[in-house]
Amino acid sequence: MSALARHRRLQAIWSSPPGWKGLFSTVNHTDVGLMFLVTAFFYFLVAGVLAMLIRAQLATPHSAFAGPEIYNQIFTMHGTIMMFLFAIPAIEGMAIYLLPKMLGTRDLAYPRLGAYGYWCYFFGGAMLLVSLLLGIAPDGGWFMYPPLTGKVYSPGINTDFWLLGITFVEISAISAAVEFTVSILRYRAPGMSLAKMPIFAWYMLVTSLMILTGFPPLILGSILLELERTFGLPFFQAELGGDSLLWQHLFWLFGHPEVYIIFLPAAGLVSTILPVMSSTTLLGYRYVVAAAVALAILSFGLWVHHMFTTGIPHMGLAFFSAASTLVAVPTAVQVFAWIGTLWKGRPQLRLPMLHILGFFATFVIGGLTGVMVAVVPFDWQVHDTAFVTAHLHYVLFGGFVFPLLAALYYWLPLATGRARFFRLGELAFALIFVGFHVTFLAMHFAGLMGQRRRISTYSPEDGWTAINLVSSVGGFILAFGLVMVMIEVVLHFFVRHRAPRNPWRAGTLEWASAMPPPAYNFASLPQVDDREPLRSDPDLPARLARGEGYLAAPNGMIRESLAVDVASGAPEHHVVYPGNTHLPIVLAAVTGLFFLALLLKVLWVAPLAMVGVAVLAWHWVWQLGRREDVGEVTVGRGLSLPTIAEVDRPPGWWGSVFLLVADATLFGSLLFGYAFLWTIAPGWPPPAWIEPSTIVVAIAGVGIALSLLGPSLAVVVNKRGRNPIAALALSLAGSIAIAAALLVLLATAPAATGHAYGATLLVMGGYGILHAIVVALIAAFLLARVRAGYVSPRRRAEIAILPVWGAYLAGIAVVILLAAYLPVALS
Amino acid sequence: MTDVLRMLIAPLAWLAAFSAVYGLQAILCAAPPEGTLAGISMSRVLLGLAFAAALALQGVLLAVLLSRRFGSRGGFVRTVSITGGIVGLVATLWTFFPVLALPLCR
Repeated sequence: MSALARHRRLQAIWSSPPGWKGLFSTVNHTDVGLMFLVTAFFYFLVAGVLAMLIRAQLATPHSAFAGPEIYNQIFTMHGTIMMFLFAIPAIEGMAIYLLPKMLGTRDLAYPRLGAYGYWCYFFGGAMLLVSLLLGIAPDGGWFMYPPLTGKVYSPGINTDFWLLGITFVEISAISAAVEFTVSILRYRAPGMSLAKMPIFAWYMLVTSLMILTGFPPLILGSILLELERTFGLPFFQAELGGDSLLWQHLFWLFGHPEVYIIFLPAAGLVSTILPVMSSTTLLGYRYVVAAAVALAILSFGLWVHHMFTTGIPHMGLAFFSAASTLVAVPTAVQVFAWIGTLWKGRPQLRLPMLHILGFFATFVIGGLTGVMVAVVPFDWQVHDTAFVTAHLHYVLFGGFVFPLLAALYYWLPLATGRARFFRLGELAFALIFVGFHVTFLAMHFAGLMGQRRRISTYSPEDGWTAINLVSSVGGFILAFGLVMVMIEVVLHFFVRHRAPRNPWRAGTLEWASAMPPPAYNFASLPQVDDREPLRSDPDLPARLARGEGYLAAPNGMIRESLAVDVASGAPEHHVVYPGNTHLPIVLAAVTGLFFLALLLKVLWVAPLAMVGVAVLAWHWVWQLGRREDVGEVTVGRGLSLPTIAEVDRPPGWWGSVFLLVADATLFGSLLFGYAFLWTIAPGWPPPAWIEPSTIVVAIAGVGIALSLLGPSLAVVVNKRGRNPIAALALSLAGSIAIAAALLVLLATAPAATGHAYGATLLVMGGYGILHAIVVALIAAFLLARVRAGYVSPRRRAEIAILPVWGAYLAGIAVVILLAAYLPVALS
Repeated sequence: MTDVLRMLIAPLAWLAAFSAVYGLQAILCAAPPEGTLAGISMSRVLLGLAFAAALALQGVLLAVLLSRRFGSRGGFVRTVSITGGIVGLVATLWTFFPVLALPLCR
């Protein structure tokens, strides 16, 4: 087959329908990544306009530009949009677009999940945007502290928009994190061992694991606050056994890792681009990976440094102060590796490099002020002042926006196949760099002079007039620079100035595809022997196009790729992907209906929407699989591999494991909250305890045993060629028994609205029941699949997923029973 | 996955110990145990023991990662995992040191 014929066949298989129709049904990572990026930059524009409104308001004392009510909405939405609707989705978009190309594969692990995540982001973001346009946007600050955001002080719908909208949007972050983790570990080019992975993939792997463990505390906090606002469950009301500090713990358990979730991918971009701009390789690759891992994990021990002024004992403060200073070490290791890379290479001052130098200057200053605020006495002086606002902008703009702009200019030729024609970028960089530092350096001094953050106005007597005017002028210079970047990108699409192939002479695989990349990325998949394959083998793109790699012969209309061993990168499985479908957008819309019902307090619609989600999810999974055994598939280069339906650890197993990591973190956060209220909240002990029941323990015990035994038995029985229906029925019975036991437990618990104790028991029990329903659905689904002929001793992949979920259900059931009954028994 | 676990295990163990010691300190302040040991309050003794246990755990992990039997043989994974082991040990020393010196519940 000629290269052109192969291209035409693969393009027909992988591309989305043309025009607008394709937008709603595409699951291809290139499309979805670009959709994420365009939407994220739209929100960057919106949040940027809000920033300008803030600076207009603060430019002069006693400004009448906006009243405090509107101003509160403006600064809240600026922070919220920048953090949740711009930064994280931009990372997701960049990674969705780049990762398969860099890893030398054709798509991510779960293409439909990626599209579903995008549409959740789209609808969730739209909810928040509508609130802004209607003047009912959230107004409690981007970290939404109760009691200000409780029903008493925020009776309107504004806070609900934040709690529900952000939780909806976070579905996209969690789904992307699962997808990235599995893709990076399993969906790489053959031969690409862990040691040969592109550095950006390492950073994204670390970041994805952080999202899985960092976002659930916020999701839990949002659920608890919404439950308090809608149903009166008093988690944050001190007079009823709650504690508003619990929110701060949950929020910052998310919030501090969030800073690194934003920074680490940007550091990955820098580590990718900087060596190319210096015509060399990254210095200390191994130590950079180790530093990224260390930074990610250490960052989970910093959250209380946002709470130094809340009256926590000195020893507690010292733990977090020590951890906060320690985190500077792995950050510095990365910075020194970058400096060393510059030193050993021949740096060229091209446009991406300018933004990287801007990143260096800005981020290092932000890092140093970070060490300053990690020192408790200094933090007490500047807490909640403009100094902290300046610090966080140095870290986030310096540590994220500059690298993102470097990445934009670096990969723009790849995405469009065109070179820059108008040279606006250099001037734009100068405006951005100068504007940023004028704005935020000034803000440090305003903070040191006592200006509190979030104030809508001030008096001339305060002495902050000149400094605020300077800051506002800087802000508008910065805005001009960013608008110039956007103009240049738009112009880029109108000027047909063809870029040469691999214009930067980079070594990573994304430059081995055509420019712009086709929907299938590679005509055949490469065998990788080097961390920078294009450097060691410049002829690789031509050889891949000629079909000298794996999967060079298109097989019908099937979308094919390969999965590899985690450590060595040896090819293990043949993968078949689903095609384009409207399911992701429909499922996201029905998910959105659930959130909308809660927002508008049409509560009876919410369970209907949940049923709709379950039905669509069933349909989603049913579309996969085959009714006949396939055996080994020839994948080229003399290799045959089992197909993904006929292995013990299918993609669904891997996805389940990492989804359950996030799930377990949410449950762990709930247990943390329970322990926190128990030991710290003032209104304890509660007026009434739950009565331990032997019947509940007995029923749950049977359920736990069946949930452990049934799934494992199903796997074994099926493998031996016998019918697994009885074992699956045992699993189903086990989950029903656990649900029944937990229902009885809840029926005997104290009133949930009377005290935080009863409220916490209700949420724990509800969590267990929800999981029992999910496991019951999985078991019922498998029963239907066995009956329909989708499962055989060889086609065992689907059934392998049940033990993971069964074991998790059994585990949480044990913990819920212990959490409910053990303290009562001991007391 | 074993190699990934090798790279993550020591810092993760630090994180678990960090959460446990912080939680223990909160519990000891909420319900202080009575009595002293060699003139040292039981609360501080317990926190000191937790510190020692965390240090011992990190020491064992580092030894395991350095060993030929359990450590990785591959150069890349070995470097990253041993560096992680050192990070875990240093982080434990640095972040738990306050249990020896600072007031417990003020």
